[in-house]
Amino acid sequence: MRFRALLAAFAAASSVALAVPAAAQDTLRIRLNADIRSTDPGVNRDANTDGIVWHVVEGLVALRADASVGPMLAERVEVSEDGRAYTFALRPGVRFHNGQPLTSADVAFAMQRYMRRETNWRCRGDLDSSVTRITAVETPDERTVVIRLEQPSALFLTMLARPDCGQAGIWHRDSLNPDGSWRAPVGTGPFRLGEWRRGQFVELTRFENYAALPGAPDGLAGNKTPMVERVRFTIIPDDAAARAALLAGNIDILPDARSRDLPELRQRPGISIHSAASMDLQVLLMQTRDPLLQDVRMRRAIALALDVPELVRAVSEGTSRPSRAPIPVGSTFFTPAMAEVPPRDVAQARRLAAEAGYRGQRLRIVTTRRYEAFYEIAVLVQDMLRDAGIESDLEVLEWATQLDRYTRGDYQMMAFGFSARLDPSLSYEMFTGPKATQPRKAWDNPEVQAMLEQTMRETDAIRRRATFEAMHRRLLEEVPMVALYSSVTHGVTPRHVQGYGSWAVDAPRAWGVRIQR
Amino acid sequence: MAGYVLRRLLVALPTLLLAAASVFFLMRLVPGDPALLILGDAATPEAVADLRAALGLDRPLPVQFLLWLERVAAGDFGRSITNGEAVGPLLLDRFAVTAPVVLAAVGAAALLAVPFGMLAAWKQDSLADVATVTVATLLLSMPSFWLGLILLLVFGLWLGWVPVVGWVPFAEDPWRALHAILLPVVTLALVEAGVLIRMARASTVEVLRLDYVAHARAKGVPEGRVLARHVFPNAFAPTLTLIGLVLGNLLGGIAVMETVFTLPGLGRLLVDAIFARDYPVIQGVMLFIAAIYVLVNLAVDLLYPVFDPRVTAD
Repeated sequence: MRFRALLAAFAAASSVALAVPAAAQDTLRIRLNADIRSTDPGVNRDANTDGIVWHVVEGLVALRADASVGPMLAERVEVSEDGRAYTFALRPGVRFHNGQPLTSADVAFAMQRYMRRETNWRCRGDLDSSVTRITAVETPDERTVVIRLEQPSALFLTMLARPDCGQAGIWHRDSLNPDGSWRAPVGTGPFRLGEWRRGQFVELTRFENYAALPGAPDGLAGNKTPMVERVRFTIIPDDAAARAALLAGNIDILPDARSRDLPELRQRPGISIHSAASMDLQVLLMQTRDPLLQDVRMRRAIALALDVPELVRAVSEGTSRPSRAPIPVGSTFFTPAMAEVPPRDVAQARRLAAEAGYRGQRLRIVTTRRYEAFYEIAVLVQDMLRDAGIESDLEVLEWATQLDRYTRGDYQMMAFGFSARLDPSLSYEMFTGPKATQPRKAWDNPEVQAMLEQTMRETDAIRRRATFEAMHRRLLEEVPMVALYSSVTHGVTPRHVQGYGSWAVDAPRAWGVRIQR
Repeated sequence: MAGYVLRRLLVALPTLLLAAASVFFLMRLVPGDPALLILGDAATPEAVADLRAALGLDRPLPVQFLLWLERVAAGDFGRSITNGEAVGPLLLDRFAVTAPVVLAAVGAAALLAVPFGMLAAWKQDSLADVATVTVATLLLSMPSFWLGLILLLVFGLWLGWVPVVGWVPFAEDPWRALHAILLPVVTLALVEAGVLIRMARASTVEVLRLDYVAHARAKGVPEGRVLARHVFPNAFAPTLTLIGLVLGNLLGGIAVMETVFTLPGLGRLLVDAIFARDYPVIQGVMLFIAAIYVLVNLAVDLLYPVFDPRVTAD
């Protein structure tokens, strides 16, 4: 009896102590699976870092939900006839979080820092040589910025909009310490950086003078009006604990629910699931320099032995669509020809393997358990290959070791995933190139490399699409890797959260989201 | 006594140096490049080389080691490769999360284990003994993360008595801080109590068989006095050693528990640092853990004479 009374007293005390204060109801709490690395856009970053930074800092242009590029701080962009000068007219009325108006000098200042080698900006290499080269950033007046390029590029605006490049975000010079090092972002985004308590949470506060675009939210573009006073990204590394936290009301948004939890979550009243196809790519890489796999017949045999639709259904719990094309299904460059998935043909696989001289040698498939999908893909591939008489062993590595092996090209086969690429040229670039200088590249074919470079220069969408189709056909013939699917992101919210949606990039957006208890 | 402590601390210095060198060079043998992990799958060789140079990883290993050692001797543990944070304050911040949980849990486990272990030994082969041993075996067989998740499910999700996430420092809000660490403390205490009960029971059984206990009983000393005065001090000494080892082990990080209960502690810091190949943090944490072991063992050795007069600090 006494014990019960004690329990009751404890419960009552708990409920009083943990009752949500009225002001806190305007705090949107979102799960973050790991701490961020920094607040410096596109520098020392990961997907979580990008996802925080894009609430605080905006670029001249931004990524739309369909992966096209839309205006953000620039209200319009004009491209010169030779494609080597981009003129950005800045949107009037935009202010930084410190109250200062956005000017072309701020844009030039930020861009110059990005392009300095010591900044270590992720995309400096792309805009300094590999995609194109920025030769000048000019400011003819306070509201106009002209960026000049060495050669025309179909990818320039995409590069500026890339979330992993920090959207080439424009920040006020107050973001830097007097010695030029990064302090904290003073941007133009819908939220200011509040408190970052390492290992615990990152809190953002609403920017009351945010200059929102009209219309609806659209990816990282469109209307980004903040609807809540604060957003707290709470770091919860464990998936089971994160799910429990959502159900217990300790967080409001679980942006990355596991596929396996969905059936149970769907049964719960008042829970909404927001699914969206991502632009990442899960693949099986094959080392074309391996003595056995250098024979294209052997690689074709492996591809034919795989039941890709069944594999994808099993790994993604039926939520992802199988695709043998490296271009994401949601891209405007994804054509009907790319939608075809060649059927499994075990007999033909056996024949081709025999022709290639396969005599029962055991292949090795490198994988990791850090990303459960990689491991499951490897297990299923091993099983499917066995049906075709191809024996293999799994080599399960810790992620950093696998990444190291990938970079050195030190594998026979590898279950791997590429992060989202926003342009088909970048999708192909991630695995196409000379192995002599870039051992990580899976597909070393000078003809294909030339086609790829052509797509980077070509600005006509129809001609680009035709080239991508040709490259896709070559990919299916030469099989340096087997593209499998793009994953699906599942966000979960309780009833009181409105306006939230998952999207193609794997991190949540808090603007446009309101709490109605 | 002071001389003994000083001697022990001086003897610990080569141990710490050896630990530092082992961690430094072993971590460099493990494949994986922090620059590559930071830059990800789109990294170009030039960008990786630039970042490696910026992080000082392009220098020869012995040079890196000596530079690090020199800084550590001056009290500077360097900065995290991952987020640029100073490692020294970071260690203390994270230890401030782990320490209260571990101290409370080990304290609770010891308070639970010693009486139950002694009781079980005193009533050897009785129903109480069998029940105690069964429960203890069950507790030590349960993985801590599993027990933690079950407790989280019951008390956090179903009953809603404690928050599932949301650690707050004691200095900020003691009441909420207590709520946040309650389940981790209970989980750890239960798991560690299993080991300690078995140890306390085994050592008590041994002491109860000794002649001086039979002699005391034959003299007509009351049973309670026999247990408290003659059995407990001798039986507790081995348990104390085990408590010291458990304490040292847990203070060095309870990574799994910290992950389940979302505690930003030392263990999670170490695991995250290993995954990210954040060398300065790994080296700092490991050196810190080695120092904790040395200090805890020293404290146990100093406490030993209190329970066992045959042992002296000198």
